[in-house]
Amino acid sequence: MKRTTTPPELSAPTAGGTAGAATAGVRVRAQCFSYQHADRERPALAGLDLELAPGEKVLLAGASGAGKSTLLHALAGVLHHDDAASSGSLLLDGRHPAEARGRAGLMQQDPESQVVLARIGDDVAFSCENLAVPAEEIPQRVKAALTAVGLDHLPLDHPSSQLSGGQKQRLALAGILAMRPGLLLLDEPTANLDPEGTLQVRDAVVAAAAETGATLVVVEHRLETWVEHMDTLLVLEPGGGLRHRVPAWAVNDDAALRQELVEAGLWVPRQRPPGSSSGQFPPLSAPGRTSQAGKIDHSTSVSLTATRSGGQSSAALLTGSGLAVHRKPPRRSWRSGEPAQPTLSGVNISLSPGSALGITGRNGAGKSTLMLTLAGLLAPHGGTLTAGRGLKGEHGAELPDSPFEWRSADLTSRIGTVFQEPEHQFVRNTVADELRLSAEQARVPGTRQPLFSEQEVAQRVAKLLERLRLTHLAQANPFTLSGGEKRRLSVGTALAAGPEVLMLDEPTFGQDAHTFSELISLLREHLDSGGTVLAVTHDADFLEALGAERYDLSAETSAPPGTQQPEQKHPTSTPLLSAVRDTSWLGRRGPLAKLLALLFITFALIATIDPVSAAVVAVACFALLPVANIRLVTFLRRIWIFAAAALMAVWGAAIAAEESGRVLLDLGVTTISTGSLELGLSLGARAFAIVLPSVLIFSTTDPTDLADSLAQQVKLPARFVLGALAAMRLLGLMAEHWTTLGHARRARGLGSRFLSQAFGLLVQAIRMATRLAVTMESRGFGAGPRTWARRASFTRADWLVALAGFLIAATATAAALAAGTWNLVWQS
Amino acid sequence: MNTSASGPATSAFRQRWTVSDIVVASTLAVASGVIFWGWNLSYHAVSTLFTAYPPAASLVAGMWLFPAVLGAVIIRKPGAAIYCEMVAAAVSALLGSQWGLGVLLSGFVQGLGAELIILAFLYRRFTVDVAILAGASAGLMGGINENFIAAYYQYSAVGTAVHIGGFAVSGAIIAGLLPWLAARGLAATGVLGPLKSRRAHQESALGGRVRGTSPA
Repeated sequence: MKRTTTPPELSAPTAGGTAGAATAGVRVRAQCFSYQHADRERPALAGLDLELAPGEKVLLAGASGAGKSTLLHALAGVLHHDDAASSGSLLLDGRHPAEARGRAGLMQQDPESQVVLARIGDDVAFSCENLAVPAEEIPQRVKAALTAVGLDHLPLDHPSSQLSGGQKQRLALAGILAMRPGLLLLDEPTANLDPEGTLQVRDAVVAAAAETGATLVVVEHRLETWVEHMDTLLVLEPGGGLRHRVPAWAVNDDAALRQELVEAGLWVPRQRPPGSSSGQFPPLSAPGRTSQAGKIDHSTSVSLTATRSGGQSSAALLTGSGLAVHRKPPRRSWRSGEPAQPTLSGVNISLSPGSALGITGRNGAGKSTLMLTLAGLLAPHGGTLTAGRGLKGEHGAELPDSPFEWRSADLTSRIGTVFQEPEHQFVRNTVADELRLSAEQARVPGTRQPLFSEQEVAQRVAKLLERLRLTHLAQANPFTLSGGEKRRLSVGTALAAGPEVLMLDEPTFGQDAHTFSELISLLREHLDSGGTVLAVTHDADFLEALGAERYDLSAETSAPPGTQQPEQKHPTSTPLLSAVRDTSWLGRRGPLAKLLALLFITFALIATIDPVSAAVVAVACFALLPVANIRLVTFLRRIWIFAAAALMAVWGAAIAAEESGRVLLDLGVTTISTGSLELGLSLGARAFAIVLPSVLIFSTTDPTDLADSLAQQVKLPARFVLGALAAMRLLGLMAEHWTTLGHARRARGLGSRFLSQAFGLLVQAIRMATRLAVTMESRGFGAGPRTWARRASFTRADWLVALAGFLIAATATAAALAAGTWNLVWQS
Repeated sequence: MNTSASGPATSAFRQRWTVSDIVVASTLAVASGVIFWGWNLSYHAVSTLFTAYPPAASLVAGMWLFPAVLGAVIIRKPGAAIYCEMVAAAVSALLGSQWGLGVLLSGFVQGLGAELIILAFLYRRFTVDVAILAGASAGLMGGINENFIAAYYQYSAVGTAVHIGGFAVSGAIIAGLLPWLAARGLAATGVLGPLKSRRAHQESALGGRVRGTSPA
């Protein structure tokens, strides 16, 4: 393929530098373009011929696996993996996408991976910096972009982690718009959002496209949201090229087209939600496989609910009265200052057998938290939660009332929990093993006896595989399934243990119409066989299709409307990694100066093992607390654990160092002598002193500023520094994943399994990282030289900090020399 | 017919870090740094198990070494071991560690230990024996650092030998074998798709295929 020789940084739209000018839309031209991912048998796209006019607004549709995302990634210039095969051409205004950095901006589905930096202003500026926009022009671009998406009411240093999902997507749009792109690419931008967030994002995108004249390509399952604002509907052929190119309005009139789209799993406007009346399901099989439209063999859908004596008493299975809930455990730990305030309190809820109940309410109202509490995975913060006889079952009389106190094995055969992200539930290497595990974990209450015999387990697995249409994938790794298959399996793993109640958290998020209707029919069967369903959802169609009652938290919630995000997310109790800058004197100094000071002191302490220099440093640190605006109590709470570590060092050296001087204690194999004890005390003092200055410094240093400084002043490679910084923002998310993985393991009848949980976290971490990498790259990251919106400088006060560090180090050394205790460790 | 979709797809490009490499390595390192932090806090309790003979406590030191080999076998590019180990160390320092800034030195030395072994195999062999060797080397260097360079310990000659030996053994298992198994498990889930290690689960444990079969 021929390439132009223009370096990317010159071809960026910044070259002209005309501020505020509308950006012309990009002309897209694909000629016989094909792309095959490494290790895939079939190409994602083959022989695609396509031409999009500048400013054309396009809705891109196709069955799942038809190559929609691949096309968007190709247009964004982020498809370049080793060993992938590509042919033909795909050009933006005649240029290869990889060389048209900044011309195309890509928004992906998961809001969390669309944010790169901790402060919203920095996040928008990030793309400008990557495209080497002159620093003085960046603030103006940031402001304009935030205004365009309606986030200009927030301060520039507002923490991006405190935004709702819809706000995060709008922030991502601002980051894209700041590049002044001619092509906006949106990959299911609203699939994970509530209805309100969806409309806000849609309106922001439509307005931005109109304002800038940019060409717009949107991939979305739910066509209704977008179709009236679009010019063109493109339908992709799975494993091929373009199947249809029609005016967008055709989807309202053209019956054949509508039918075709429904069969591809799309939601077409004004179509009754699939599965809303039985017998009218759209085809259940995925495209490309032999279709068995509407034929659900009811002989295989036998009740998978374990038979219970129950006695058909209509007494509630689960009753919460005056329930208060919160994500965090109610007990006070030594590190957290205040006990958590409940997200919700005074909740009265009861779940009757055989019913379907939907918990609805706005974002952040505490719906999921309430569900996890009802599911016995979170401890109630107040009120009572009582499991009725019907839920405890035949042998369950001796079970405690609150499901939270049950063993995981008793829980899993009574309440099955389906998490929003199916992958959180996966703990085995094959699909069949996942189902088998659930069936095996179920226990007769209070005993270690399996609930199902070996034969019954095998039967359940086989039956479920067939019912879920996963038999051909029985030996596949669960993580490699498609989104819809994962969703089916996650419901299957919950059903396999034979629970009375099934609880689901946003089961239809991001799912196509096929999976939606399969989910409905699975849940209906559970209900028909006497089971009970509780779901947290925004999806009105879903509740309607199940005939579910609603429990609306908006009416119930204790928080007044308008308060954003009652659930503040603080992954660790450390002050670090928060986006708000420390305002103390030390907090306002440059990170480089602080780092220098720290290096001086650390070096002075590492060079010698003596108590005098350690004491000098410790005294200096305590004396400097006011400068860092840290209270003594807070400081002590942060360092006490290190004092404990120092004591271990004293002991270790005392008994294992070379004997010298008088023997104080003879332990047989070893001795404690005056010499070894003295050495131990010196080592312990040093270990304690070494940690104090770094706690002081890092408590007052913002990671973003530190990264700016390391890249600009120390000249560390910017790609790596910013990569590490972006990864640090994922910390809070990883903590949340960790907690959820723990819940999922308990829900599946497993005890705490550190390695399994750690592996699950690795999978999620890498998934987040690869999505984040796409986001960063599509915002011009790593392409060439960059500018910095904020110049890191070394002020006079910074010199003072560095000097102070040097003086502390010098004083410590001098004092030790004067006392005659100084001894260089590297001479033996 | 088969042209790369990207511009520069020369063989030199294969050793250059892509954005995916950088972000995934950073994420692994940051997650490891948090594990360090938690491990640091619980280490004083764990180390009391070795009260009778403190030098043997290095048998659990592999917990500070695993990011090096994990990063190396997943990213498979020069510098991955040192980068992951150092970033993990830096993050644990940011969160507060009982060694203060000294962890940067430890991170570098330990990462270097693993990196040298991977380099010796020219970044082309990521079999279980190489991973174990790299973990042991990271442990050896870590032990040398803690006894001679940063000198956190001043044991007798026997104690020092036990301490360094324990470090190496612990490194070989916790920071060599386990990361290798983790990388294979991860490859089987498909999440390593954009990385060079995406076929790790199909490679034989002790060699044979070095890399994928498709023409480069």
